[in-house]
Amino acid sequence: VTAVRVYLTAAIGAMGLVVGYLAQRSRMCFVAGFRDYLLVRDRELLLGFFSFFLTVWLLTTALYSLNLLKKGAPEYGEPRTGETVGGVPASADGEPRAGVTAVVAAKPQAGQAEPSAGPSDIAGGGPEERASRGRRLAVGFVSAPFTPDRFVFVSLAGGWIVGLLSTFAGGCVLRQHVLAAQGGRDSSWYLAGFYAAVPVFYLLLSRLISSIY
Amino acid sequence: MFVSAEAFLNVYPPAAYSFCLTCHTRDLVNAVLNLIFSAGFQTAAVAHRALMVSSPAVLIGAYFAARFHVERAPRKSERPLLHFTIGFVVMVCGIVIFGCPTRLTMRAAYGDVYGLLAVAGMFLGIWCGTAAMRARSRACVRTARGANGGSR
Repeated sequence: VTAVRVYLTAAIGAMGLVVGYLAQRSRMCFVAGFRDYLLVRDRELLLGFFSFFLTVWLLTTALYSLNLLKKGAPEYGEPRTGETVGGVPASADGEPRAGVTAVVAAKPQAGQAEPSAGPSDIAGGGPEERASRGRRLAVGFVSAPFTPDRFVFVSLAGGWIVGLLSTFAGGCVLRQHVLAAQGGRDSSWYLAGFYAAVPVFYLLLSRLISSIY
Repeated sequence: MFVSAEAFLNVYPPAAYSFCLTCHTRDLVNAVLNLIFSAGFQTAAVAHRALMVSSPAVLIGAYFAARFHVERAPRKSERPLLHFTIGFVVMVCGIVIFGCPTRLTMRAAYGDVYGLLAVAGMFLGIWCGTAAMRARSRACVRTARGANGGSR
């Protein structure tokens, strides 16, 4: 266990505080925007969604061109945690190395085409397999090399389930946090399920999913 | 704000990771479990360097906002089991596809094709959800009318 840096934790906490405050004031919700638009043609929250999207897009583009931001593959591996289940960090060459290389390589890999070497180690058997996945589409908008694989369907289906269930629950995850803080018991139960899902996922479901996947 | 946090505070190794409620919750819970049981649960590379406390922090921030603007109104739980299950399934899906809706949007804006696809899937899901809600409300109206008609 490497040392936990206090300032980073404090920064994340402060950011979370500000986000929580703003989300409570603006009733921001990523799901409710589209839902309200579909149900009552209310465009306000959808505008919030798209302004978020645009801001992140412009800022990433600007900061990337200023060389302040390292673009990479945002995903860091399909949770093949069949390996890490059971108390044994069986991916002994996978995860610690990933952490170390990622931390070390964060600096010098500034403009590289593949700074995802660290994160994607956990995913698919190391950089050599990643490289052997071969040719990448060089699309201007796309930040990471993209080769279609099964994760396309997984992300589509997962997004579908998240959208469906969030509609039934009445808000996205951020909104559920805000509602729970406002005193909604339903949202508190939602969050309880949310937290309870993590160990259960890593103890049971990841095996199931990796056997299917 | 998220992007500048990522750029200047080095919340880096998984890109576009500066704010995500599922991933940060996952990292927090797994880090705590790793500390207690020394189990090798998966966390992101940033989580080796910091505790991802954004989920409790959002709770606290929203609590104070509601407190200051007197909007805090405890409401009774109507269907706790349903919401527990929904939270459970959303968390599992969020772990699998790496992100709550916030981070999915951020990833899509970041230029990740998977993020874009997941956002598209999310919109499809919302569409299906609203369709289901509409159908249900229509059915409710119909049964209410039927009951009225029967009573007359």
